[in-house]
Amino acid sequence: MATLDLAGPEGPGTRLFALIRLGAVRSGRALAFLGQLPLSAVVLVRAQAPFPVRDMLRIAVQCSAHALPIVLIVNLLVGAILAFVGAVQLVKFGAGIYVADLVGIAVTREMAAVMTAIVMAGRTGAAFAAELATMQANEEIDALEVLGVDTVAYLVLPRVIALTLMLPLLYFYGCAAGLLGGLLVASGMMDLSPAAYIARTGVALDLAYFALGASKSLFLGGLVAMTACYCGLHAARNATGVGQAATSAVVSGIVGVIALDAVFAVCANALHI
Amino acid sequence: MNAPPTLLKLPNQVLPGPTPQDGAPLLDIRDLEMRFGDRLIQQNITFSIEARTIFAIMGTSGSGKSTLLKHIVGLLAPAAGKVLHHGQDYWAADAAQRKAVRTGFGMLFQSAALWSSMTVLDNVCFPLQQLTGLDRTEREARAREVLGWVELSDFAAFYPSDLSGGMRKRAGLARAIVASPPLLLLDEPSAGLDPIGSRRLDELVLDIRERTGAAVVFVSHELPSLLAIADDGIFLDADSKRPIGHGSPRQLLAHESHPTVHAFMRRETVVDTVRATHATRAGAVAPSAG
Repeated sequence: MATLDLAGPEGPGTRLFALIRLGAVRSGRALAFLGQLPLSAVVLVRAQAPFPVRDMLRIAVQCSAHALPIVLIVNLLVGAILAFVGAVQLVKFGAGIYVADLVGIAVTREMAAVMTAIVMAGRTGAAFAAELATMQANEEIDALEVLGVDTVAYLVLPRVIALTLMLPLLYFYGCAAGLLGGLLVASGMMDLSPAAYIARTGVALDLAYFALGASKSLFLGGLVAMTACYCGLHAARNATGVGQAATSAVVSGIVGVIALDAVFAVCANALHI
Repeated sequence: MNAPPTLLKLPNQVLPGPTPQDGAPLLDIRDLEMRFGDRLIQQNITFSIEARTIFAIMGTSGSGKSTLLKHIVGLLAPAAGKVLHHGQDYWAADAAQRKAVRTGFGMLFQSAALWSSMTVLDNVCFPLQQLTGLDRTEREARAREVLGWVELSDFAAFYPSDLSGGMRKRAGLARAIVASPPLLLLDEPSAGLDPIGSRRLDELVLDIRERTGAAVVFVSHELPSLLAIADDGIFLDADSKRPIGHGSPRQLLAHESHPTVHAFMRRETVVDTVRATHATRAGAVAPSAG
């Protein structure tokens, strides 16, 4: 009978140990990166070091205005799908009008924030990671470090600030698109008048839902940007590294968004929101 | 005949540089050992450089030449030994001292490493923005002066992607020298350039030395460049992982007996040397014809 040799010099034991060590090193690196961000921000403010405001504005435009079409399409379709699925079931019970409640609450509490963050992880997160990984491969980041520039303050902070501030705005835009998608399906499929749908939506919604969604978007924006920048800064210095950084940024970003949303769901439940 | 134009001197209060210690050389490397994790790259590297010296770092591929430059500029920490700028150990210094040390050198990277989101002018202005208290107008005036020197005045508004390889190298050189550092580090400046472009760059390096009095440390494989401009140098060996030759390329060419240095300086390849050895041995044992 074969036994598992965990102690052999070249056996699974060694590989397991190497994997654990790699995991520990990577976790340590990620934690160091997380700690470096606020430290760099403090040093930046204290030393009044030059901050790339122009770069930050350019990034803010890229991750907001340029993302409007895709955020519109995705959220419109999500609203429409929710309305469609809800309508099929609710009409059976003669409760078709409650489609407005379903769409309104789902979009404002969860879907607009999560779908917009996922879109931004795929679009902007990948772009951030690829841009920084290319800079790493081209020694541009080394050139900054030789001048004593804090690369976290100079490259990461503008991206994190831009996406953190822009995602809540995109969330409100996504809410409008999702509600519109629901309205289109409800009025098209169920012969509900738009006025009745809008009135019902108004009754169903609460400002607390928007507050929850917007504050969630703040955190999701920061998370997506930080994950992407981390992947970009720690990429291998070649073309494959750029591709891997973009892939890791998207995968980690999406998983992080879902996980953080779950945490928010638990907290919102505990706070009776 | 007009005297060659000199670079504007930056006021000392805005570009302090490291505080020199009495009699300390500009750059002093003492028993440096370089490692990537557990992997040894080089050990026992010792040399020092004075002002106005052009110092070549030579060696076979993978011997750690560029890694040595990264240790000199503080991008990598030594596994053992010291890197002293004006007698000051970079890795033992506090943040303010490190910043002062950094004002003492400029670096041209192998790929030029121009920031792709900035124009050539902004690239050249950036070190002045970081290291000096000059205002925008002064920074631009100085950057344009240096761009004129490397013959890129007409390309100030261009982005790096719009430039040829040689132009990028010259723009990178302009960025490295714009703050008049006493030590200039060049990582394979001639790599990827045609012989004319390569020679032009060599002339620029000599010009920089004449005009600014800077010392230059450069990594190169190009024998013509090495012989034309280097005053002193070190030869790193990838196999023994230690320096196997010290002296100017001309001295190494004339006197060095180590087979790797000899093969490198004579433009022979190791394969040629091995083949020649085999041919000699085969000739000695083969029966004579006829």
